[in-house]
Amino acid sequence: MTDTTAAPSERRVPVWAEGLIGQMLALLIALTGGAVIIMLVGESPLHVYTVLLRGAFGSTENIAGSLLQATPIIVCGVAACVALRGGLFNIGVEGQLYVGGFAAAWVGFTLNLPAGLHVIVALAAGMAAGALWIALPAIMRARFNANEVVSTILMNYVAVLLTSYLTIAVFKRPGGWSETEPIAETAYLPQLLDGSRVNVGLIIGLALALGLYLFLRFTGAGYAVSAMGSNPKFAAYGGVRVKRNILLVLLSSGAIGGMAGGIETLGVHRRFMEGFAPGFGFDGVIAALLANGNPIGVVFAALFFGALRKGSLLMEVETGASREIITVIQALIILCVSAQILIRHRGGISGEKRWKF
Amino acid sequence: MAADVATDYAIEMIGITKRFGLLTANRDVSFAVRKGEIHALVGENGAGKTTLMNVLFGMHLPDAGQIRVNGQQVDITSPQVAIGLGLGMVHQHFKLVPSLTVAENIFLGMEIVRGGFIDRKAQAAAVRALSVTSGLVVDPDRVVRDLSVGIEQRVEILKVLARGARIVILDEPTAVLTPQESRDLFRTLRGFTDQGMTVILISHHLDEVLDVSDTVTVLRDGAVIGTEPAKALTEARLAQMMVGRPVDFGRKERQGTAGAPVLTLSRVHARDDRGLPALSDVTLTVHAGEIVAIAGVDGNGQTELAEVVAGLRMPSFGDIALNGHDIAGAPADIVRSAGLAHVPANRLVRGVDAQASITSNILMGRQNTAPFAKGGMIRWPRVRAEAAALIKRFDIRTQGPAAPVKSLSGGNMQKVVLAREFTQGKPFLLIDQPTRGVDIGATEGIHDEIMRRRAEGIAILLISVQLDECMKLADRLLVMFQGRVVADLDPLSATTNEIGMHMMGASQNRKVSA
Repeated sequence: MTDTTAAPSERRVPVWAEGLIGQMLALLIALTGGAVIIMLVGESPLHVYTVLLRGAFGSTENIAGSLLQATPIIVCGVAACVALRGGLFNIGVEGQLYVGGFAAAWVGFTLNLPAGLHVIVALAAGMAAGALWIALPAIMRARFNANEVVSTILMNYVAVLLTSYLTIAVFKRPGGWSETEPIAETAYLPQLLDGSRVNVGLIIGLALALGLYLFLRFTGAGYAVSAMGSNPKFAAYGGVRVKRNILLVLLSSGAIGGMAGGIETLGVHRRFMEGFAPGFGFDGVIAALLANGNPIGVVFAALFFGALRKGSLLMEVETGASREIITVIQALIILCVSAQILIRHRGGISGEKRWKF
Repeated sequence: MAADVATDYAIEMIGITKRFGLLTANRDVSFAVRKGEIHALVGENGAGKTTLMNVLFGMHLPDAGQIRVNGQQVDITSPQVAIGLGLGMVHQHFKLVPSLTVAENIFLGMEIVRGGFIDRKAQAAAVRALSVTSGLVVDPDRVVRDLSVGIEQRVEILKVLARGARIVILDEPTAVLTPQESRDLFRTLRGFTDQGMTVILISHHLDEVLDVSDTVTVLRDGAVIGTEPAKALTEARLAQMMVGRPVDFGRKERQGTAGAPVLTLSRVHARDDRGLPALSDVTLTVHAGEIVAIAGVDGNGQTELAEVVAGLRMPSFGDIALNGHDIAGAPADIVRSAGLAHVPANRLVRGVDAQASITSNILMGRQNTAPFAKGGMIRWPRVRAEAAALIKRFDIRTQGPAAPVKSLSGGNMQKVVLAREFTQGKPFLLIDQPTRGVDIGATEGIHDEIMRRRAEGIAILLISVQLDECMKLADRLLVMFQGRVVADLDPLSATTNEIGMHMMGASQNRKVSA
């Protein structure tokens, strides 16, 4: 039976392809917009983008650099993804990254533990700190339906400034800049390649993404989270405990965000430095949005952002374009993706979805 | 065709074809409405009624065909053009601004202005004048938010009249009205035609179509099946034209007697979302193999009753027992495992995840239990097989189990909900508005399924604002008014009039235990 008032049931492209085409379009528009700005500063977009590509993929070293940049974005992206799939928006990944990084470093330079165990305890401390950091917004959201977007953003500032204070005023390395003592060697995250700081964190990130994908796809609990994300009233009707799930989803998201910070401090800097991971948390959130909440897609989006970050270094050296071009491109991606969400919601039938931006 | 013949007609749509992609919503439709008549346009959901009226009202441009209004060939390119030609449309879903007054709504976008300010007095006077000529009495200064649905509809019609409409199109106007309100509406419409106006009525309530209209046009699958004087038609004949096969209308045959109590509510009270009392002292029992129907005008506590029973709202007082378990205030998963299956009132809000596949929707509520899950893992092959089997058994028209639910028509979407809830072997079924927005053919199938569940000895609480549905299915009929059960009736002996009086609160000082 056909229904003229609803969308016709003929569908020329499958749903996933439709989504992919949309995201590719968002990328294309963003890159075009970036090109216009590059032209405005008097450079050739083709040249700038070529240099960018070369900077990201031109040599083994550059590729390793791109992977290094992508690692925290993958983990942060998975963190944002967990929340997104539950219909929640954790924009505080950046803050969880900072407190998680600090907590892991603190375990690293304070405790004396055997190798291996030390890493695990430090990462666990990072996760606990991340979860603690989102606990207040999570409880407020589950209990009083307080918008988590605002509360998680606000927690970011507190996290950045608090870790700053602890680093400078309490744990400052004597004679050093604004950084703590180095962590013990037993707490180092093993490196994957000689001559590069790419570390096991990349594997952890990939495993988390795969794990989240499998969890959502194949477990009853994952099904409940997805259902809550796309229609919370439907989930509640079907017997899903929505409040409890909101709490669990946000706490998990925060824990993974905290782990991202731990991976950065244990694997890359081996100490906590003020401003050690600028914007990785936000990049992760954008990656999750660009991937439309698909954990596998998050990996690719994060690799793309990592490559942009790495490539932009060479771009700044070799061309007149500033690194901020990358920020412009990311901002345009956010615009396109949110426009897409808006269109989808306007055409949506339930009309009851909570608006997210 | 000679011009003097054409002047008999207010509207002539000739050879209208409208396609959406691969779908032909209207195929060579010719539809003519005489001046001064009430012309009913009937057909199942998806038959093309709404598309045809949207073409007439300038919201869609036809791919082929022409339109004449009062004998003049016209190009209706927008609703503004249609309004300029004296057409007015009263939509099924009201488009009023709740926070504005009646007069402000009626004159929205065409305010009477004096010295740069809205002249409220003049607007109120104009509304009163319109009330006199149309017979639709409203208080121009009331805020729309405080009005009942029936009055809101009056405002909606006045709005159309204030824009000078002489040809009024009403889309499913009685869907939200009590029998009495419907009768008032039809009297008003008859008054319009007595004044030389023309009315087009879109409906799928066959009895009212036959009662009120002069001429009936039936659409099926986008084409006209026939146009006939209402006097020459019977309900059975009309239904057959719409569905394409004979349809059974009578009260359903039933065997077996009621068994032990399955659901009991005693002295249940509850509040609505705003914290106001919504259920007062509701006591009722549903036995195995029995259908207890709750009739009433929408918004008299039925929603809260369903939510309290389904574990979606905390009762503020009272006891609820399901299948021997105390479930008052228990969460939905506990109530479900105690024996609830639930068809919710609004499938899109609560009954489905529209973005997800049919398979995924079939799983809801069973994602942690055998046979569809083991050790926390979902056994998707089994779920898919179940979905495929249910699609076949419930005749869900779809491309397959992987199709997203949003690609289905309303009736088929409802079948997905029924298929999930009816096949879990639960001893108690809560069914809220099972056929809302579902066409006649599918409605019949749904009613048959409900009767089959009854025969299996399942206890059924049916909530419906459609009185004929309650009468057709119920063993006992309870009427709710302002959160109370005000009548407990035998559907075999109760008259529509009697039930209607209870629905309007004529018996509200009487308390009934059921």
